[in-house]
Amino acid sequence: MSPGLTGYIVRRVLWAIPVLFLISIIVFFMMRLAPGDPVDSILGSRYQEDQARVLKEKYGYDKPVYIQYVKYMQNLAHGDLGVSTRHRDFTASEVIWPKVWISSQIGFIALLITFGLGIPVGIYAALARGTFIDPLTISFWLALEAIPVYVLSTLAAWLFAVKLGLVDLGYRGVWSPNMIVPIMVMSLPGVAGVARFMRASVISVIGEDYIRTARAKGLKEHTVIITHITRNALLPMVTVIGLSLPGIAGGSIFIETSFGIPGIARESLAAVLAPDYDVILALVLFGSALFVFGNVAIDIIYGFIDPRVRVGATRG
Amino acid sequence: MVSEPGVLGAAELFPTGDFVQPKRFRTARDLLRKKVAMIAISYLLLFYVCGIFAPVIAPYGLNDQQLTVQDRLQSPTSEHIFGTDRLGRDLFTRVLYSARTTIVFTIVITLSGGLFLGLGLGLLAGYRGGWIDTVINRIGEILSGMPTLLLMIAITAAFRARINTWSFWLEDHTFLGEDSKTLVKFGIISLATVPFAWLGSCRIVRSQVLAIREQAYVTAAESMGASTPRMLFRHVLPGVLPLFLVGLSSGMASIAGAEVALSYLGLGIDEPAASFGNLIGDVNGTRLFNDYPYLLIVGAGPVILFFFSWNLLGDALVDVFDRRQNARH
Repeated sequence: MSPGLTGYIVRRVLWAIPVLFLISIIVFFMMRLAPGDPVDSILGSRYQEDQARVLKEKYGYDKPVYIQYVKYMQNLAHGDLGVSTRHRDFTASEVIWPKVWISSQIGFIALLITFGLGIPVGIYAALARGTFIDPLTISFWLALEAIPVYVLSTLAAWLFAVKLGLVDLGYRGVWSPNMIVPIMVMSLPGVAGVARFMRASVISVIGEDYIRTARAKGLKEHTVIITHITRNALLPMVTVIGLSLPGIAGGSIFIETSFGIPGIARESLAAVLAPDYDVILALVLFGSALFVFGNVAIDIIYGFIDPRVRVGATRG
Repeated sequence: MVSEPGVLGAAELFPTGDFVQPKRFRTARDLLRKKVAMIAISYLLLFYVCGIFAPVIAPYGLNDQQLTVQDRLQSPTSEHIFGTDRLGRDLFTRVLYSARTTIVFTIVITLSGGLFLGLGLGLLAGYRGGWIDTVINRIGEILSGMPTLLLMIAITAAFRARINTWSFWLEDHTFLGEDSKTLVKFGIISLATVPFAWLGSCRIVRSQVLAIREQAYVTAAESMGASTPRMLFRHVLPGVLPLFLVGLSSGMASIAGAEVALSYLGLGIDEPAASFGNLIGDVNGTRLFNDYPYLLIVGAGPVILFFFSWNLLGDALVDVFDRRQNARH
């Protein structure tokens, strides 16, 4: 690795840290300013005095908010995310991580399908530019995107469970055939976005001189499409894929509620409405951290793929 | 984010390339030539006319109920062209008033988030540069890094406890009367949406301003001592506006979608006021759809077509601009 690239990566990662701190401060104060005594909400109305003392000692509930924040960050450094008030006997970590795992698996499969369909659809539409097939293809996926997830869930559930009787709607684990319907509902609306981006990318590549050269050399058309057009057009997709990756861990509120999936999105909705402060805080921090590091990862990957980014970074 | 399509952020998906010299009415003419765009515009016109004139068009009162068995859950007839819901209310009337809610909400958010914050901060960041630019960018980065829908839910949920206090105060101290509760709810969802609604347009405007600043005529105007407002409004703004409007139209569906989603969850506009969110929430469900499929179709159809039309229009606009930029090919 060149020294320029290392410096670039270090600077990007260092920049992520203050951003995350700022997010944590904003969300922490938003949560703590809400009314209600946290000790009461964790322990209920009747509790032993020494239980309360342990909590106050550890989380600083009797101290001003900024000391609570410092304590929270200290605990966070030890991997302690606080206590769930909604599930009385569980810590926030115990509530969150198993559900994040469920949502991530589903989200990952859905993401694979979204991009697996979106990229070919985009290439197809771009190559058919100027004919009626191009707007027709894109419009079809745009129409699917326009249907709100909660309506699409109902329609898909009706079609596959009631009308065709292929699946039932109970949750039987991530890898059961019942998951096909929610995964479809989750992945198909995203195809339009990916396809549109890919289409635009392919169209800008088609105009390049090296494509004309490749054709002039007498290469077969599918060789030009696959090795020259598609490979180059995929480059900007790195950003889109990178920006989508953090999202898969968050799950989808509407899909998880309509299909009874015990994932993190359903938990986060319940936590917000309860309210379950430490769980909300942990979720927002986790989501933001994923997003920020996803962004850093994209920049670093570009640093590898595209040397111009690296050169600019060393100069700047 | 794959998880919640329909929540803000569509505006990032198109390129903001080099600055293009705007030509008068060319966009309009290019757009008129596109059939898809024309169909989308026609539907949007219909939707806006219906929504704006809802009280005039509506055949029944918004909350007129007919609770007898034969009046409830009617299929579409000549008296109720969209049928009736579980409480025997005329669905066509409720759809009209829901369209009104959608229209008012999108206008409020477009003016405050898109025009005021998006255009304003984008101009400021791009034109002033320096630390102002850095601060605005970082705020944008932080906001876009947060889980949007979850935070919008959190904000609305946090304010929900105060709805009664505020609306009673308004009822007692202003002329608003019974509408004040809806107004307060409206204010809360707007407050929850605006922080995330300006990011896309701000980014577009900023990058356009940066491109325009490099143009020779801007340097010329600056060297002649043009004042900052004159620079902005006379020289920079006209070049920024086209792509800004493209961005707005691409983002419209997600702004409207935010209100519908929040109302669907019971956190936005709710009964007795009408919104597509609570309308869909009321008629959604696999069993209900199996027995009375028209309920969901007429309840959700109009707003789905609204989203679809804005997306098609945005897409057509992006294409028109792209084609012009790539004119050499």
